[in-house]
Amino acid sequence: MIDFERTLGRLLIGLTYVATALLVVGVLLMLASGISPLSGGPQLDPAALPIDLVTLTPAGFLWLGLLAVIATPIGRVIAAAVGFARTGEHGMVGVAVGILVVIAVAIGTAVAGS
Amino acid sequence: MADWILIIAGGAAAGVFGSLLGLGGGVLIVPLLTLGFGLELREAVGVSLVSVIMTSSAAAGVYLERHVADLRLGMRLELFTAIGALVGGTIAFLLDERFLSLLFAALLVYVALSMGRSSISETETAGSDGRPYAVRNLPLGIVGATWAGVASALLGIGGGIVKVPLMHLAMGIPLRVATATSNLMVGITAAAGAAIYLARGEIDPYVAGPTAIGVFVGASLGSRLAHRVDLRILRWLFVVVLLYTAVQMFLRATA
Repeated sequence: MIDFERTLGRLLIGLTYVATALLVVGVLLMLASGISPLSGGPQLDPAALPIDLVTLTPAGFLWLGLLAVIATPIGRVIAAAVGFARTGEHGMVGVAVGILVVIAVAIGTAVAGS
Repeated sequence: MADWILIIAGGAAAGVFGSLLGLGGGVLIVPLLTLGFGLELREAVGVSLVSVIMTSSAAAGVYLERHVADLRLGMRLELFTAIGALVGGTIAFLLDERFLSLLFAALLVYVALSMGRSSISETETAGSDGRPYAVRNLPLGIVGATWAGVASALLGIGGGIVKVPLMHLAMGIPLRVATATSNLMVGITAAAGAAIYLARGEIDPYVAGPTAIGVFVGASLGSRLAHRVDLRILRWLFVVVLLYTAVQMFLRATA
């Protein structure tokens, strides 16, 4: 049980550093391109992300970093669900699944309303 | 170039204050972006939520590694903060910006008063840390957690200012565990809200990137400075800053 929580902690820290690194690269590319932070950034276009990353476009790294930031706690809940399933804590697995369902509904509602 | 320096430095200042005083920094980021840079409130809330997730995730990771946070209690309450964030994130787009500014001004006054009071009661509550505890008043905790989620998604805050006193005073959780568990919960609460703002196109990557980095650096610095700073003086300074910001937000709402 102790190792399970430690693993979750390390996962959170690791993902945070990955997200930070992506944002730092995006900000450095913004600086190099002379883009002002108040100039109004582009909307998220998932289809354009790979091309933006290959062509070193600042918005690509910034969006990937921001998605990583938002995904970090969600990833922790998924990992916790797997951990609880292994230890036979079915009630906690249900709680974790419930959290993921609420987040999915939040995203679905927002996408439908936008 | 001045915009760059001000955004990163402002984010760093919010991170330092937030880290030293146990807040996510959202109460400072939103006024910074709206009053300082003229962003719309909803856009500032989206950026603030991302910054709050970043600082809370790193801290929560450390708390989990050290077994300070109560993972099971945190996840039970998270379910309800996420539902609250879903409600808050949805109604945020139906409310007038001026009304949201007024709500934010009221929140700042509440936080300032809580800060003023906690400087007096801090020594009384610190003694319970580390003792075995039993969770009590779970239904009340669920109601409070739901409200914290609504406030988080409406106003771009982590909600720790609601969750920590709730867990400590109403549910009998030791202060240190309550703070760590609240930090863990902030990630999911803010992620649910941020996902809504992201899907509605209210997060500007050019503002969010530098601000989040500033906040992250500031929070890291703050945790190293904690033992060198007189927190009583800092707390009262923070109360003054919050009250001044509340007046500015009120004037903006009524202008």
